[in-house]
Amino acid sequence: MLESGLCNYVLISYGHNAFSSDSMQQLLMDLSGDDAVFGHFGATGGYALAARRAMHEFGTGPETWKQIAVGQRKWANLNPAAMMHEKPMTEADYDKARWVVEPLRLPDNCLITDGGRAVIVTTLERARDLKQPPAVIMGMGQHHPSTPIAQSDWMAGPTGAKKAGETALAMAGITLDDVDACEIYDCFTYTVEITLQDYGFFEAGGGRDWLQGGTIEPGGRMPVNTSGGQLSEAYFMGLTPIAEGAMQIMGRCGKRQLGPETRTRSPEIIMVSDNGGILESHSCILLRRW
Amino acid sequence: MPYAKPLPKINADNQPFWEGCRRRELRFQQCSACGHVRWPPSDRCPRCHSAQTDWLIAKGTGRVYTFAVYHIAYHPGFASDLPYTAAVVALREGPHLLTNIVDCPPEEVACDMPVEVVWEDVDDTVTLPKFRPL
Repeated sequence: MLESGLCNYVLISYGHNAFSSDSMQQLLMDLSGDDAVFGHFGATGGYALAARRAMHEFGTGPETWKQIAVGQRKWANLNPAAMMHEKPMTEADYDKARWVVEPLRLPDNCLITDGGRAVIVTTLERARDLKQPPAVIMGMGQHHPSTPIAQSDWMAGPTGAKKAGETALAMAGITLDDVDACEIYDCFTYTVEITLQDYGFFEAGGGRDWLQGGTIEPGGRMPVNTSGGQLSEAYFMGLTPIAEGAMQIMGRCGKRQLGPETRTRSPEIIMVSDNGGILESHSCILLRRW
Repeated sequence: MPYAKPLPKINADNQPFWEGCRRRELRFQQCSACGHVRWPPSDRCPRCHSAQTDWLIAKGTGRVYTFAVYHIAYHPGFASDLPYTAAVVALREGPHLLTNIVDCPPEEVACDMPVEVVWEDVDDTVTLPKFRPL
């Protein structure tokens, strides 16, 4: 639309009073259909099924997910806008957190948030003289397996992330080695693991070792979800990861800014994901500094 | 006491399945063209797109494909069941069915565990297929 001149700007926005109303719960209940007959509801139940299958197939589990939950919380502690900004979480806090739908504990679940976020897309030509430096879209890919989760045989991957990631990297003409940081749709900790795994950052079940030593945290070699993400900043659907990716590229992230401030690489390229349903659809976008 | 949990929404597509359950038969559509056994019910075979369909009666055995143990009740009807197990059972004939594992403590449920159907009459018209260890 932009390149053909049909429009000059596209505003992509999301806003929801999900925390102060029961509308998110109602939405998820309505999606349950006849699964509700068996007491199976919403997103946590569906992702618990997927996470359990992954435990069976490649030996993941809470020891892996804990590193994601705790690592992202450290980013949130640097972000004054994050719901969990002043709430540090240790590994011991995670271990004693209550089950919601086992194998997922409370900190494996994303937040429910009042608020919103937006990004504006325009042409590179128009962006040249804007006040802020743009984040340039250098590649994108989508893949949607799209069968309901109960019929799925990809709960433990490969999800849509595999083809979507390959497509985006090919369009950009880069490899994972060129990626400086990731902003991953993180409705649940397991979603982060399976997305990074399907993108190719580690072999099936290799996430536990790959995450060791603070890989995704401030000071780590592959920062992930640098606002705290949906787990620890705010849940604005796909706008949480993509807005953070753009803001990091623009250098507008204050104390959590990638670069010397957080002892990480200054970001040239950031990989961003979005995900729908219970691992039923996936989008990947690669952003670069201009 | 009236049944306090949600009941299935029965429509023209899934009516043969729920009528089968009432008679303690687990019925699934089978494509007459390619033999694929499918769930949920659909007008056409998702594999070969043929509209020619028969219903078969499954043997009622399979394995736990995956499961989730509920520690909170999203609906008040389930509060007294906590913790309880929702599961996807992979039936011998192929389809995956969302159901409950019963007669088994949640901590003893495992992926690939063999299970068989048990029937729960919940009111005058509806019978639910649940599964227990074989």
